[in-house]
Amino acid sequence: MSYIVATEQLSKRYGSRTVVDSLNLRIPAGCVYGFLGPNGSGKSTTMKMLLSLVRPSSGEVQVMGQPMNRGTRRRLLGHIGSLIESPPGYGHLTGRENIRLVQRLLDLRDEQIDQAVRTVRMQDQLDKKVRDYSLGMKQRLGIAMALARQPRLLILDEPTNGLDPAGIEEIRDLLRRLSDGGVTVMVSSHLLGEIDKTATVLGILSGGRLIFQGTRDELFAASTPDVLIDTPHPEYANTQLKGMVASRLDHGAVRVSGIGDQTTARVVAHLVGAGVDIYGVRRDEQSLEDVFMDLTGGGGL
Amino acid sequence: MANEFAKMRHLRMGLIASVMVVIVTGLSVAGAATSPAFAVPSGRSWEALLGGMSLAVPLASPLLLAVLASRQVDIEHQGNGWLLSQTSGVTPGGLCRIKLLAVGIVVAVVTILESVLVLVAGLLLGVPDRVPAGLWAGYTASVLVANLVVLALHVLLSARIDNQLVGLGIGVLGTIVAVFATALPPAMAHLTPWGYYALVAAAGYQGTQLVALTPAYGSIAALGAVAAVLFVIVTGRFDRREA
Ligand SMILES: Nc1ncnc2c1ncn2[C@@H]1O[C@H](COP(=O)(O)OP(=O)(O)O)[C@@H](O)[C@H]1O
Ligand SMILES: [Mg+2]
Repeated sequence: MSYIVATEQLSKRYGSRTVVDSLNLRIPAGCVYGFLGPNGSGKSTTMKMLLSLVRPSSGEVQVMGQPMNRGTRRRLLGHIGSLIESPPGYGHLTGRENIRLVQRLLDLRDEQIDQAVRTVRMQDQLDKKVRDYSLGMKQRLGIAMALARQPRLLILDEPTNGLDPAGIEEIRDLLRRLSDGGVTVMVSSHLLGEIDKTATVLGILSGGRLIFQGTRDELFAASTPDVLIDTPHPEYANTQLKGMVASRLDHGAVRVSGIGDQTTARVVAHLVGAGVDIYGVRRDEQSLEDVFMDLTGGGGL
Repeated sequence: MANEFAKMRHLRMGLIASVMVVIVTGLSVAGAATSPAFAVPSGRSWEALLGGMSLAVPLASPLLLAVLASRQVDIEHQGNGWLLSQTSGVTPGGLCRIKLLAVGIVVAVVTILESVLVLVAGLLLGVPDRVPAGLWAGYTASVLVANLVVLALHVLLSARIDNQLVGLGIGVLGTIVAVFATALPPAMAHLTPWGYYALVAAAGYQGTQLVALTPAYGSIAALGAVAAVLFVIVTGRFDRREA
């Protein structure tokens, strides 16, 4: 597998506070990488280190197979589009004047600008001043400025933050189209729901540490959903399990948390031995939110 | 560079620059031309015009330079432009250097225009004496250096301190220093960039007598050199600061 971004033990300390702790990110080329974590978990700091805007305290960043640092960043940044924290844009200028600035800065052709603008569907808004734009329009202009260089990698920091549902859906759709067009997208959010369906690979950050990285399926597999036991005598069954496993009553069933297949078999055998009638044993349906909450310890998402 | 001029659109930079020219030219000419001895032979008319400029320039320049620098830099704070430039390969210090260059060109045009307009006004008003061309050019160049140094200081202040009222407040203080520096002993006038407006004065009163003065060319050259080195060092440090 080829990774467009890989970090080794990437860390950032401010004073004695470690805000990013030993990250080993692996972003496969061509994916949409959802970078999730509560506010303050270190997402923006990590992304700035990937762009060499912040110097790592220790560890290394490799982008497109090359080390990213102050010496190489100028060349590498030509292939990376990014939008960090709030979207850029000079309010006193029109959208068109803004994007012209980027065009001159990077020596881009008119076709590249046109294509980027059409991709974010801003072609009819370019003659308005940016200060009169809605937040969603600013985000899209910012993405157009990032896209104009036709990057291989696009790094977007909370592009859906503050947008209404329609705006969020528009960004999601945009990310999917970009990904189909071969751009690798890394997108952060503190809300799982905002990128959940778009991301093909997820990295979950909590308190500066990467607590999960992998596909959605792997994420489900990494955490064991609860076992629900259906019986006509749930109270009796629940008392029988006291001291053996963590169980509680749930809508006429017994819910047992955190047990694997072997323990499940022992629990069932134990209940049957105690004379409990069992007519159903099943794993609970689990939403990605539940998994996420489990992993981050319910850390205020 | 072209980008900095493109960013000046709708910022009223031209208007502010014109205000500077109008104030300096207007004050200098009005002050001189209303004196009874103006435009009579040996009436010290050129000295009067140079003396007028030597008062009007320190009065108008410090604050308007602060405004020019602040407007051109504040847009980067407002528009998240530092990051945008950085991710396009222009470091924060580099952006400051380009800004000084671009606004510096505007300021150079303003300074030269002020000087030329006052000279032309003198000729049109019929001053019969020979134009003191060397002094005129030397004074203009000295003012240009002082203006650029003050501009550079404000570019750095506006970049480093988000709140632009700080830079403008310092511009007001600078105006006071510049205007009263003629009353300071020269050693004190050397201590701040605004004091140099007094040091380069091309004419002034000695007692009640208006006389031509020689601008302190050595001092202003030293100021220019020290400021250039400091500007390079400080913007170099901006480059190493983190986003
Ligand atoms: N320049 C800085 N100096 C000190 N602390 C910082 C700095 N930048 C970020 N932090 C701290 O690092 C932590 C992570 O911040 P950030 O990366 O912005 O998180 P996120 O983007 O996930 O919300 C926060 O607690 C923040 O206060
Ligand atoms: Mg953030």
